[in-house]
Amino acid sequence: MIPILRRELIEQLRTNKAVLLQILISMIFAILIIARWPTDSQSDLSGLASRQVLRLFGYGLLTVIALLVPSFPATTIIREKIKGTLALLFNSPIRPTGIYAGKFFGVFLIVLILLSTSLPAAGACFAMGGISLTGEIIPLYLILITASIQFIILGLVVSTYANSTDSALRMTYGLVLLITILVLGPYQLFQSESGTLKDISGWLRCVSPIPATMEVLGQKDIGLSGFTLSYSAINRYFILTGISCMVMVYLTLSRLNYRIFDRSRSAGVITDDRTKGAKRFRFIFYLIDPQKRSKGIGNWTNPIMIKEFRCRRFGRSHWLLRLVALCIIISILLTYSATTGSISWGVEAIGGLMVLLQVSLLVLITPSLSAGLISSEIESNGWQLLQTTPLSALKILRGKLMSVAWTLSMILCATLPGYLIILYLKPEMQPQIVNVLICLVIAAIFAILVSAFISSLFSQTAAATTTAYIVLLSLFGGTMLFWLGRGAPFGHEIVENILLFNPMAAALHASGTSGFEEYQLIPGNWYIMGLVCSALFLGLVYRTWKLSRPR
Amino acid sequence: MNQDEPVIVLQDLTKIYGEFVALDHLSFTVRRGQILGFIGHNGAGKTTAIKIMVGLSKPTSGTVSIAGIDCVKDSHKIKRAVGFMPDTFGIYDNMRVREYLDFFGAAFSIEVKKRKKRIEEVMETAGVTYMQDKYVESLSHGMKQRVAIARTLLHDPSVLILDEPANGLDPKARIEMREIILRLAEMGKTIIVTSHILPELSRICNQVAILHRGQLKAFGPLNKIMKHLTQLRTVEVQLASAKQLKAAALIIKNMRMNKGNINVAPKELMIRFKTEKNDQELSLVLGKLIHEGIHVSQFRELQADLEAAFMSVVKGPKKDKAVSEVGE
Repeated sequence: MIPILRRELIEQLRTNKAVLLQILISMIFAILIIARWPTDSQSDLSGLASRQVLRLFGYGLLTVIALLVPSFPATTIIREKIKGTLALLFNSPIRPTGIYAGKFFGVFLIVLILLSTSLPAAGACFAMGGISLTGEIIPLYLILITASIQFIILGLVVSTYANSTDSALRMTYGLVLLITILVLGPYQLFQSESGTLKDISGWLRCVSPIPATMEVLGQKDIGLSGFTLSYSAINRYFILTGISCMVMVYLTLSRLNYRIFDRSRSAGVITDDRTKGAKRFRFIFYLIDPQKRSKGIGNWTNPIMIKEFRCRRFGRSHWLLRLVALCIIISILLTYSATTGSISWGVEAIGGLMVLLQVSLLVLITPSLSAGLISSEIESNGWQLLQTTPLSALKILRGKLMSVAWTLSMILCATLPGYLIILYLKPEMQPQIVNVLICLVIAAIFAILVSAFISSLFSQTAAATTTAYIVLLSLFGGTMLFWLGRGAPFGHEIVENILLFNPMAAALHASGTSGFEEYQLIPGNWYIMGLVCSALFLGLVYRTWKLSRPR
Repeated sequence: MNQDEPVIVLQDLTKIYGEFVALDHLSFTVRRGQILGFIGHNGAGKTTAIKIMVGLSKPTSGTVSIAGIDCVKDSHKIKRAVGFMPDTFGIYDNMRVREYLDFFGAAFSIEVKKRKKRIEEVMETAGVTYMQDKYVESLSHGMKQRVAIARTLLHDPSVLILDEPANGLDPKARIEMREIILRLAEMGKTIIVTSHILPELSRICNQVAILHRGQLKAFGPLNKIMKHLTQLRTVEVQLASAKQLKAAALIIKNMRMNKGNINVAPKELMIRFKTEKNDQELSLVLGKLIHEGIHVSQFRELQADLEAAFMSVVKGPKKDKAVSEVGE
């Protein structure tokens, strides 16, 4: 175990990325404390100011962990598998448990180092007064450490099942989003009910570290529509994380042997070679038969676009159909259950929830589609092959962007039925809904362009995907931290100026969601995003042109 | 097009990265239907030269033209004239072989109906028809190389540039690859092949270019190059009995036939030595051995191979003249 641990840890610590991260995290939290450090001679015995800082500090650290930690373990095993060094490790006397422990502690120690850079800021927070060390700061750090362990173990299990570094990253970030944010959803719907559904959704929400963090920071009942919790989210979080981690460790260890290299992929029986009856049956069953020989790419179709669709695991037409159907069902179910529930949320709240759902989908899906557009070609040497064809840089770029735009627009359109129901319930909301849709389209365009631009800067898809996720999550989620700190420590103007860069906040403002009405974000956000998108597009065109030139 | 008409013309091709000279005034001509073996150790400049030829890189100075098209000024036109197979495959996951070829056919703007027919043809030529429904990522290395050949042929280029086509292939796949390349030459394609497996190249190439540290050290027909470069002949003498080995070696030594050590291999009953002497002088040795009662079962000269020629170029500075001696 020790050689692996040493290698993993030292290899990571030697990188510029690790040094930069440590400096960045220390600086961010130092600035936060400096901004709120009391300047008058009277001390605040109630601890209001320090508690406000601690909340921002706590949520900020949790966000940093959720954004950064998964990228380390998600690629560690798959990268070794691709390089061939994993086979060498299996040939060494180190047992799978030793390999696993080395990998785990290699990442965990880095996370501890990163967390320790926030300790001076936590100390300063404590020195401001009104905060308990044993009641708040230590439990907060325990939760953060547990969340880190949860994400590391999750990343490792995904890394053993994935076939490429970028798919490992996509899957890990998707699961992190699921276990931190999406699991909170069902309880929002069933909190007013009584019985099994409420109990299950109550336990489910505790899989996420957010309720436990909120409880430590004294905000356990916020967002629960007036209901109070009768259980400790912290205890449930520790129990659930413990159980899930044990399962994930078992799954990872069971894959850490030579079976991990098996990647047989049967071509299956091609429908064209089947009988007429079987062909008909499959047509009815599938609509679009995945085993049917594809027709040639049309004379007027951009071949790059078709290639992109075909190369994606879930990009083929039959998968897109299933995805669109699922989005329609979720959208209608969400609207239906919210409107028929015993609590009257109001269409604005439902609209807000739908915006969150759509932006979550955008943030989750777009980097996975767009961040590998160019970097994956460079990484797999496909770019060189494309350069040997008569395809121009613009045609390549157009095909690639269109492949993402089509997928996203299909997914976004599939979530539209919910808005139709809102329109039916409250027809006067039509202008607001149009504004929301404009914001969502802008958010989608921005997400595509920023991910694609990042993709053109990297030669490794894993790095491009991680960067795209961090940029998008920082913009869509990180700026919301300022909104959470509205009133204190951040004034109205600062929050408004920050939110002007967030199309999701603009959409929430347009839908009239509570807490966003007081900020004037439209049309300012549209202008800013329009400018940013134009700059990104020009940058992307330039980078693609440059990459396709003879060097 | 005339058979003797030059198809690939390199003139004073130079590429400099910072202070590193990757290509140093490279000049040669390849005629239609010829197979040129492009040889050089790692970093010799082969891939740099190839990349310039296919329009992926720009030279610092000099010109390259293929089928009359300037590879630097008309890099977009050259793509239709040349079929390039790089040393890496360029995998697209989740694509079946037929879809993979269809994509590249579409990228070359081949019309759908014509493309379908062309795909059948190139699959037949490269021997990949039976794997048309297989996923590209699940293919073995040898299969991928054949698919790559099929991809290279899609737009029916007159010139093929194959970078390490036999690299990593097993003997059977190597033989199949050799047959494919010879078949393509029969079809009138002009081919440039690079390889580290020199015996493989010697079997298919009729022209050879040896590159060393960016300089062309030798160029010309294979047999001429070997004659010029391998100046020492290797002679093998096999005896009927091991007892006479020592005596035979002594006779050869006394006649001062050898240049360097005389190698005696008792298990093989063999004596090997290198010599500068001609056939007439060597026949004297055989006569002397027989006269002295040595039972010679074989007396032969080992054919110099491409590997030996290459090594003599790389090692010996005096072989620099070979270009002017052998080249056209």
